Amino acid sequence: MDLIVAFITGLTTGGLGCLAVQGGLLTSTLAHQIEQDMQRYNGAGSTQKFKPHIAQPILFFLLAKLIAYTILGYLLGAVGSVLQLTPLMRAILYFAIGIFMIGNGLRMFNVHPIFRYFVIEPPSSLTRYIRRKSKNGASFFTPILLGTLTIFLPCGVTQAMMATALGTGSPLQGATLMFSFILGTSPLFFSVAYFATKLGSAIEKYFTRIVAVTMLIMGLVQVDTGLNLSGSPFSFSRTISILQAYALPAQTGLSVEVTEYGYSPQVLHLPANQDVTIEWVTRNTKSCARSVVVPDLDYQQILPVTGRTQLDIPPQEKGAIIRYTCSMGMYPSQLVFDLDPTETNQ
Amino acid sequence: MKKLFNVPDMTCPNCAMHLEGLEDEIPGVRSISASYKKLSMEVEFDETKLTVEQIIQAANEIGYHPEPVSA
Repeated sequence: MDLIVAFITGLTTGGLGCLAVQGGLLTSTLAHQIEQDMQRYNGAGSTQKFKPHIAQPILFFLLAKLIAYTILGYLLGAVGSVLQLTPLMRAILYFAIGIFMIGNGLRMFNVHPIFRYFVIEPPSSLTRYIRRKSKNGASFFTPILLGTLTIFLPCGVTQAMMATALGTGSPLQGATLMFSFILGTSPLFFSVAYFATKLGSAIEKYFTRIVAVTMLIMGLVQVDTGLNLSGSPFSFSRTISILQAYALPAQTGLSVEVTEYGYSPQVLHLPANQDVTIEWVTRNTKSCARSVVVPDLDYQQILPVTGRTQLDIPPQEKGAIIRYTCSMGMYPSQLVFDLDPTETNQ
Repeated sequence: MKKLFNVPDMTCPNCAMHLEGLEDEIPGVRSISASYKKLSMEVEFDETKLTVEQIIQAANEIGYHPEPVSA
């Protein structure tokens, strides 16, 4: 998943989705801070207007949360790299994330009681510990501790993002992904936490439906990504892109341009019943299209930023289709073996 | 004493945490374990200090309407 997408996900659904679970903890910490400030204010007998210091604990909370989740992302990416996820395993992971998000979206709409089972509830002992810490804390220690402990209370969107970090198979990518996501959640979290005492639970009800709709959409996107990675012909994005490609004249040749926006041509027609070697051509390409996955050939390769990389394909029956995509399940494209040997253009 | 309640008006996982927070608020309650999945909560309390009706009343005050499950 692109870091900007992770950031925007955090900025929208992530921030909203986690408010219900984590916002309460932060608000109770703030209430404690306000009480402390009020006691000091009354004790000092000041004549100036009372101003509680709530911005600082929110910042401590969010900073601790950002650091904790970045470390968690690093660890998840490290676990993913040890597991060496194959394209099919990643496809299953994305599919599971998608189903999880769709289930949570439907739960929020109260479609059926069974969707309540899509929630991962932390044990009572853990929530009890965190709740009591949130009430007894002092100054900056409690917000930092609570911000760190939020990794044990992830909302549905965060859980999905954690699974995505696992799927990256890279500690650095996992860490940057979670960093971008949590950074994205921070502005809304800060704003809502800051005004929480005024907004109360009304805002939670108002946003629930927005979160539910976004969860459903994101869930469908994740399922679609999983289908692309598995080489399935039934994904929504593949259908759209292939229909677009078929509207253009048939493209032949033995090379595929790997660009910032995917693969060109999206549908390449190749000769059947003979060995074929195609070339991936990159020219200062930095998008995820560089990481190409061909599930049917069990092939995955990270291409150089600029260069030519060959792929040998054994003879395919006439009419055979080999589907491929980038490792994030984006840019679905395909090779169609429907030409006679003489029809190939070099 | 342990008492099980159905709580049909829980709408999210946070509701379970709200209800569990009552264990720090009501004298006589030893522990509360609430489940959003099951829409239920189990309260362990000292029956010499507290009645079932008082537990229901406390939950009503934070917006929930538990129904005792008969043993």
